[in-house]
Amino acid sequence: MIPFYKLERYEGNEALFDLVTMSIVSSYVGEPLHLHAEGLRGTGKTTIMRASRQILPNITRIKGCIYNCDPEAPHCPHHRHLDLEQIAALGTEIIPMPFLEISHSTKVGTVAGSIDLSRLTDPAHPEAQLLPGIIPQAHRGIIFIDEINRLADTSPEITDILLDVMGNKPGHLQIEEAGLPVVDIPVNVSIWAASNPDEDPGPLEEIRRQLSDRFDMVCYMGRPDSLDILSNMLQENSHMHRVQKASQTEKVNDAKHEALRQDIIKWGHLYEQTDLPDFLRNYIARLYIKHNLESIRAIEAMQQGAVLHSVIKNRDKVQITDVTYMIPLVLKHRVDGDTLVRMINDTDSRGNKDGILSFRGKKNKPREEEEEYFANNARALKDMHRGELVNTEKTLTPN
Amino acid sequence: MMGEGTNVDKAASIGNYLNLYFGQEQGIRLGESTVVSRKAHARMPEKRVKGQIKILTNRDAGKKYLDYVDIDQVVHIDVYHRPGQIDPRDIARAIFWQMEQHFIEKDPHLQYAEDERFKMVADYANKIFITTNQGKGVMYELFQNVVKPYQEGEEGWDHVHVLARLNREEYYLVYVIAETVEAVVIESGIKLAKVRNIIHGNQKEERESYAGYIKLPWKNFKGQHAKQMPDKENVNQLILKLAEKFGGVDEIEEFMESYSTNVFKRKGVEQQKKKWGDVEHDIEQLQELGLLKDTPFGKILTKQGLQLKEFVVNHKCELETEIRRNTRKMPGSGGRFKKLGKVDQQSSAVQYTNRNKTKNNSEANWSGDLAVPQTVIQATKNSFMRGDSQLSIKKEDLHYYEKKSYIPIDVCLVVDASGSMAGDKRQAACFLAEHLLLSGKEKVAVVTFQERSSTVVVPFTKNQRILSKGLSTINPAGLTPMADGIETAVNLIKDNRVRNPLMVLITDGIPNIPKWTMDALADGLEAGSHVAQNRIRFICIGVESNRFYLEKLANQANGVLYLVDDLNKDNLINIVRHEKKNMMDSKRNLA
Ligand SMILES: [Zn+2]
Repeated sequence: MIPFYKLERYEGNEALFDLVTMSIVSSYVGEPLHLHAEGLRGTGKTTIMRASRQILPNITRIKGCIYNCDPEAPHCPHHRHLDLEQIAALGTEIIPMPFLEISHSTKVGTVAGSIDLSRLTDPAHPEAQLLPGIIPQAHRGIIFIDEINRLADTSPEITDILLDVMGNKPGHLQIEEAGLPVVDIPVNVSIWAASNPDEDPGPLEEIRRQLSDRFDMVCYMGRPDSLDILSNMLQENSHMHRVQKASQTEKVNDAKHEALRQDIIKWGHLYEQTDLPDFLRNYIARLYIKHNLESIRAIEAMQQGAVLHSVIKNRDKVQITDVTYMIPLVLKHRVDGDTLVRMINDTDSRGNKDGILSFRGKKNKPREEEEEYFANNARALKDMHRGELVNTEKTLTPN
Repeated sequence: MMGEGTNVDKAASIGNYLNLYFGQEQGIRLGESTVVSRKAHARMPEKRVKGQIKILTNRDAGKKYLDYVDIDQVVHIDVYHRPGQIDPRDIARAIFWQMEQHFIEKDPHLQYAEDERFKMVADYANKIFITTNQGKGVMYELFQNVVKPYQEGEEGWDHVHVLARLNREEYYLVYVIAETVEAVVIESGIKLAKVRNIIHGNQKEERESYAGYIKLPWKNFKGQHAKQMPDKENVNQLILKLAEKFGGVDEIEEFMESYSTNVFKRKGVEQQKKKWGDVEHDIEQLQELGLLKDTPFGKILTKQGLQLKEFVVNHKCELETEIRRNTRKMPGSGGRFKKLGKVDQQSSAVQYTNRNKTKNNSEANWSGDLAVPQTVIQATKNSFMRGDSQLSIKKEDLHYYEKKSYIPIDVCLVVDASGSMAGDKRQAACFLAEHLLLSGKEKVAVVTFQERSSTVVVPFTKNQRILSKGLSTINPAGLTPMADGIETAVNLIKDNRVRNPLMVLITDGIPNIPKWTMDALADGLEAGSHVAQNRIRFICIGVESNRFYLEKLANQANGVLYLVDDLNKDNLINIVRHEKKNMMDSKRNLA
């Protein structure tokens, strides 16, 4: 794996680096941020997402809790009824923030949970126990799904589970296994997905619109179009190849990754203290009304995104540019192209430093003529004689 | 001014006039501020005559604004006013009370029948739709304070836009409505606007002015640094607009090259028209965007135009993906078509095993694709629960892989490529073919007929390259040898292993070149009967004026006729989607 910090950044993939960082920061403080990277092969979407594993910060959980219970807020069936003393007695441990994957051939039981076979077949003490699946095990972390469009097409059951998990923040999950009590737990997981809209079965929004809308942001990846970048990427790949052959992979990077990890923790704290200024919240609300957006999720994502973006850019105040930067990321998968372009062009970020913003004046021609189209005032029907009421094209047109 | 009681007479007489003029497909100006007809209305900015309103005789108001299928259902009342905000709820309430007053005036007995009166008005309130620049809705809902937001660009921003579903005997209410709306406008402190005159005419092809809202860096960002994202989105959207018109990246390039300085690549407007239909609108738009300019030698690309062309060439791959994404998009549901006839043919399904999902059904018989791992897991679990001393596998433990089935529908388009199909209709048929291929898993074939014979321009394929290449050869011209087209398609289907074939005939005419006899019409029907003999599912998409013949043809082919106002891509896609859904349902009924 190429170290995260060595991945080539260029115009077409830059946004994904930001989004991935934002999502980790947000997940770290317990607020999921769901991302979807769409693009052709060779745009590096899966590489970036998988590589970001290397910069995940650590989290603390109740010792041995496979559900990743936060000692301060236990949620799993084993620990949620315990008081602080009992939890303290169990002890805590530090683990890397979870990063798990679901593929389009994963089975429902593996995703949600199923009976624990090793416990069941334990020769000494066989017992029927639930083994939580990938989603509950990824609590407080990230799940990555490559080819989400195929998953949505072939696995409606898993799609339904995802809809629940991504439905609210936190989401919830119900695990049912015949013979065992039903488990219903909250889950805080950021779902990251990637897909190639141009390959079978086509773009996610056409397959399962609902699922597509659950993603807070979609990053449309572009391919590198400069020769320099391409040759750098090639060089990096072949370099890594040699390094791996020499089996020195571990040593390459860690100081830089550690620095990034520390940044993420710092940004996490900053995010918890930062709020969107009223005028920006107001502005987002106006966008929503003016362009008749349907998705409340969209404006919530815009808020969350704008704050996170300002935080990872080390700013102490959210600016209008943080909001405008979010517009295509949050809306491109939710509105049609015309609406998106109108919204983008509508915003005028003049003087963004002092936070003044305005909607651009109407550009449409007919509107400019609005005042003048009718030259005269009309009399009201009730003031007119009967003979004046009905006028046809003929009677109105002077010869 | 008027004496008591005359309002009822006045309204009745207006009702009579409206009957007369509407019968002649005409509208009127009622008083000075109001235009009434059963058609859509538009301003005439192109004429530079201000204050004029055009009544669009080819656009039925109910169809255009409310998606009705049948015409003449709706009276369209526009009350024009000076700039100012008008609350649609005020309008609704006022009409409500005024109608009630009017009914009492007409029939004083109603004064004591409050319930009956309310019911009468409420009935109308459900048939009246009001839009102002502050919102819109059905009158009944507005009356109860439920307002839908007004959207930019809709009817109603300089007038109160009222649509009323009234029959001929009820036209007198138009006067009541118009007078009441005027009163509310005046009470809102806004002056009524005088409509100078009205004229009648057809609406020309409606195409939006994308130059109005697309912003290119060199156009609007004066001195300001263009941000990267908006820039990209704007260019993208422009390309998508052009692709909607011209087809694909190659065609956009071809179109732009018509304006290069290379004389060999320049194409005249007439030549372009044949393939793409009216291109003037797009030329205008590109000029407004600063991409084309006039020179003594004709229009040529500007520096920016060349830049854009270069961008298109360099980003072909991404742009094609975006275009394909657009092509896959389902149009809004509904669609305006009329369906005549129905078929009861059964479709056959393809079954496959879903390795991701197993079923544990002890009721089922002992056959099926046994899921061994799942069965062992279940047996282990159940053995434990049953308290068995060792692992045992019982019938209740068995898991089977789920069987799934789907109905593949391979579509053969039979497209009329006679001269009248040139331009937008040709583009719509091509778009349909691309859409079907990209949005489904099935094969698509295209047969065209023109001049004196027919051609398989695209054999059954799933390959988009083959499809696009074939489609680009379609150049509508000449007459309509429909029998030959149908016959070629029948043979194409017979000679290929296709699954649940659906033949879609798209035409704006009727046959005028025979195949076997001297009678083109009879030959068409004969070819239709071959469709039925080969049990090929058949639909025909045509226009109302050819209904008589096409209905016979569809009957002969044991198929269905769909009539549309306009052979546009949304209509075509919605019809085929509707039909495919029928075919899938016909399987479900079998099971
Ligand atoms: Zn726990």
